[in-house]
Amino acid sequence: MNRRLSWVLKALLSHYWRHPWQTLFMLTGLVAGVGLWSAVQIINHHAEASYRDAQSLLGAQASHWIQSRRDEGVEPGVYIDLRRAGYRQLFPLIELQVSTPGGQTLDLIATDLMALPVSLLDEEEDSDDFSATWLDFVQPPYRAWVPETLAAELGLAEGEALALRDGRRLPPALYRANEQQGRRILLDIGAAQSLSGLQRLDYIAVGEITPEEQARLAALLPPELEMVENQQHLDLQQLTASLHTHLTAMSLLSFAVGLFIVFNAVRFSLWYRRSTLLNLRLMGCDTRLLIVAIGLETLGWSLLGSGLGFALGVLLAQLLLPGLGASLQSLYDAVVGVDLGVSPLTLLMAWSITLLGLTWALAWPLYRQLQRSSFEAARSATLLRDETDARRWLGWAALGLGLLALAWYPRIENATEGFAVLGVVLFAAAWSLPLVLALGLRLLSAVLPQRRLLLRWMVSDGWTQMPSLRSAMMALLLALTANLGVGMLVDSFRDAFVGWLELRQSADIYLRNPNVDYAELRRRGLAEGWLADSHSRIGVTTRWRERPTLVRGIDPRAPDSLQLPLSRWQGDSPAAALATWREQPGKVLINEQVMFLAGVEVGESIRIGDGAAARAYEVVGVFYDYGNPYFQFYLPVAVVASQFSHYYSRGIALWLDPADQQAGARAEAAMLTLGAGPGDWISQAEIRHLSVGIFDRTFAITASMNALTMLVAAIALLASLLAILHERMQQFAQWRALGLRQVEILLLIATPLLVFCTIAWLVSIPLGTLLSWILIDKLNVVSFGWSMPLLWDLTPAVWLAGLVLLICAATLLLVSLRWRRQMPQALAQLGEIV
Amino acid sequence: MLSIRNLSKSYRSAGISQAVLQGLDFDMAASTSVALLGDSGSGKSTLLHLVAGLDRPDGGSIEFAGKALHSAPEPELAALRRSRLSLVFQQFHLIPTLDVLDNIRFQAALCGKFDDVYQQELVERLGLDDQLDKFPWQLSRGQQQRVAIARALLHRPELVLADEPTGNLDERSSSEVMALFSELVQRAGSALLMVTHSREMAAFLDRRVRLHDGRLTESE
Ligand SMILES: Nc1ncnc2c1ncn2[C@@H]1O[C@H](COP(=O)(O)OP(=O)(O)O)[C@@H](O)[C@H]1O
Ligand SMILES: [Mg+2]
Repeated sequence: MNRRLSWVLKALLSHYWRHPWQTLFMLTGLVAGVGLWSAVQIINHHAEASYRDAQSLLGAQASHWIQSRRDEGVEPGVYIDLRRAGYRQLFPLIELQVSTPGGQTLDLIATDLMALPVSLLDEEEDSDDFSATWLDFVQPPYRAWVPETLAAELGLAEGEALALRDGRRLPPALYRANEQQGRRILLDIGAAQSLSGLQRLDYIAVGEITPEEQARLAALLPPELEMVENQQHLDLQQLTASLHTHLTAMSLLSFAVGLFIVFNAVRFSLWYRRSTLLNLRLMGCDTRLLIVAIGLETLGWSLLGSGLGFALGVLLAQLLLPGLGASLQSLYDAVVGVDLGVSPLTLLMAWSITLLGLTWALAWPLYRQLQRSSFEAARSATLLRDETDARRWLGWAALGLGLLALAWYPRIENATEGFAVLGVVLFAAAWSLPLVLALGLRLLSAVLPQRRLLLRWMVSDGWTQMPSLRSAMMALLLALTANLGVGMLVDSFRDAFVGWLELRQSADIYLRNPNVDYAELRRRGLAEGWLADSHSRIGVTTRWRERPTLVRGIDPRAPDSLQLPLSRWQGDSPAAALATWREQPGKVLINEQVMFLAGVEVGESIRIGDGAAARAYEVVGVFYDYGNPYFQFYLPVAVVASQFSHYYSRGIALWLDPADQQAGARAEAAMLTLGAGPGDWISQAEIRHLSVGIFDRTFAITASMNALTMLVAAIALLASLLAILHERMQQFAQWRALGLRQVEILLLIATPLLVFCTIAWLVSIPLGTLLSWILIDKLNVVSFGWSMPLLWDLTPAVWLAGLVLLICAATLLLVSLRWRRQMPQALAQLGEIV
Repeated sequence: MLSIRNLSKSYRSAGISQAVLQGLDFDMAASTSVALLGDSGSGKSTLLHLVAGLDRPDGGSIEFAGKALHSAPEPELAALRRSRLSLVFQQFHLIPTLDVLDNIRFQAALCGKFDDVYQQELVERLGLDDQLDKFPWQLSRGQQQRVAIARALLHRPELVLADEPTGNLDERSSSEVMALFSELVQRAGSALLMVTHSREMAAFLDRRVRLHDGRLTESE
């Protein structure tokens, strides 16, 4: 049995040995698909693990935070008193943001290193060229623990003190890889205090604590402090869930496109091995033996594909993670560690989906071939009938999927369902493509003039090429659609976002420093003449319907409040709604997230505020709030000041006098004299640059995935053409012998290809628009709570057409090179027929 | 060795049933050779497929080496084809991705009956010495058919079923291959049932039978 099996395997697998190109394509399809999928899985799992770690800081579990009710920080004395009272599981924290001369923002986190669990410090081993004992961390000049990847990005050598934009310097750097540090730089509390010149702590983290101890601790706190539960982990998971779903969806798309290549390669390998299989059966191999052999082959491919694909995935994840981590940090305050942990579970998953995909693509058709009686299987009529059958079958399946999508669409409730529907739509489109291609061919043949015999022949050759090109065309359609659809989404989003930023951030300078007296700054600015207007805001962070929420006190007459962009409003116009909100008590503006995610409508009355202090407000308008994962309510500043006991300042926005050339310099001088540091304010240009930067970085991953998907489709195309060449070389040789020139035969290959590509491209335009519309109309709304108009533009489609032409030209060139090499031999074999 | 009684087989296509074999009887002794003659479409290939167990009869019995082929389960038929039968067709059915030597040894490998001396003899007699490391597509048609013959004989089957084995070759190489073929079959001690159109070919063999109207009759 074993020896027989090995001979059967030898016969089956020799195919791959003899056709290295096809083997390469098969492997490429598997590796590309699995690679993209597992990269995203690795990133998602990694991010999830990081969120879980957010609860513990530097190895110490933080179950609660002690913080100021008014965001004014915690006096260091409180921390010392509490520790003296016997609370050893407390550690103080200061968070700072600084910028490099290059404009990169760095997050610093500082704690009392002496308060941390000792084990953590033991871990730190001395490095060769720059050694430091842990005492060096807690006394001047201190040390800064810099994650290695960040140090490499900054070009920071070990022992070097990083210079900041405002001239300050960080303590000498020490490379350090601590998972929970993420991209943050860790300092001792003393170093942070001397860097910022401020003594206060941001908050105190509370480690593992019993409920009784916790009650006693709460009672010890001065009235301006409160103890809150650390819900960061849950919040982060909730806030980022949609983003991760989006990533998963993209990776599944890549996997699907990869699978099309595999299908393609498999079709070829099946076609080619038909005779081998028949042969084996004639020589008395029983079906069971063949099934075992095919099973082993499938298993082998799945192991090879998922192994290599996973390795690629790890590599890709490493490339994509820094950008994505930076986005997560700026959008959600989510710290994602830099060092990837790879779980065997992901590998196992990668393997099982590969096996599943392969079983579908390879094992099933092979098995069906075996079920047929040996002679029926060999007939070419069977193959032709199979092709028409397959087309019809796919068409029916597509119709079913289309109806399913139509019925499901209005009932979509979350991102996962949304993407499921999207997948159904895409598959329906891909599966109906063969019918559309057939229709296109028929139409084209009908309109071609009767006299152009050669051209008609070339077009009609499409019927022969259809089976080989079918899956490649589906892959191309999917890739084109994804590129167009996602591209349109990103363009629409960018357009909406930039326009919105211009309205929302119309002030010239934004200052945030709780020690500055904003009223005094405004008075001075108006008196000195450099200030045109200002807006100082207050806010309260709270939770509303289980989600972190911001209640903002807005000056209703400030320039940006007067032109707040609304997406829904009560009454005749946005201006009228804003006027109502300004002038009548008990009105509130909500952000789109509240409307879409919590289902609150204009005109509805909602309760805002904690416990007994909650009051009812009527919703009169909904404002756009892109990039914000939280719920947000806008109330007039006076209402917040009177209704909430512990609001805090959210900074001040300054509009400079446009006529005053020196306004900027004078404003800065005034801010400095009132006690602001140079890092406390940011100009409009900078904030826009930063915001757009975050936006672009977030979507960079999309662009790279799109490019990869396109590449995968190009490979599928090349693979099919080479297969066609291989299958039909004898036929081409005969035609050549009949006197056809090489150009004409190449044209014969090229014409159907161009016809099919054109059809796929034409179909991809409406389909891409549909995809983008679903993404904007449904998925963005259910997952992020952002709505925006769809921006329709044909330019990207034209660019893609150029790209497809280029791909076709390149593939045809490769094919013609191969043609030249193989033709002499094919011609030589012709002679023996006679 | 081979005994067929009252064999019938009909095909149904487009709703019309067409009887191809009707009450056919046939006997064949070990180590003898029989030429199966008949018009095109008379059912010669059908009969061969039934004997090889590739298809099932509608009625009647086929006994080969004491086994009832008409009712044997598929794995048993496969085992039989593997070790005691050989098939040679007009299309050569070589495995395109294996070299000549592997192709020749394949069936012997499947049933575990290697005989290096005999293999060398076959290779030499069929003039394949210089072709062993080539691939099927690098050979002429006549050479490919010789490889198929070597493969069919190496495991010394009891019965060789050949369906117009030389129909694909030109006249000269066809009679050359035929002469070699029947000689080698005889030397291997196998029985041979061969479909052929050519009287000249048929003359090489011990007996000639003609298939007509679904039955076999002895012929000159
Ligand atoms: N699978 C099949 N389905 C329907 N009819 C068949 C099938 N195989 C053979 N036939 C018919 O049976 C008859 C005998 O065929 P065959 O045995 O191939 O004849 P021969 O080999 O003598 O030329 C022919 O009329 C042929 O059309
Ligand atoms: Mg026949």
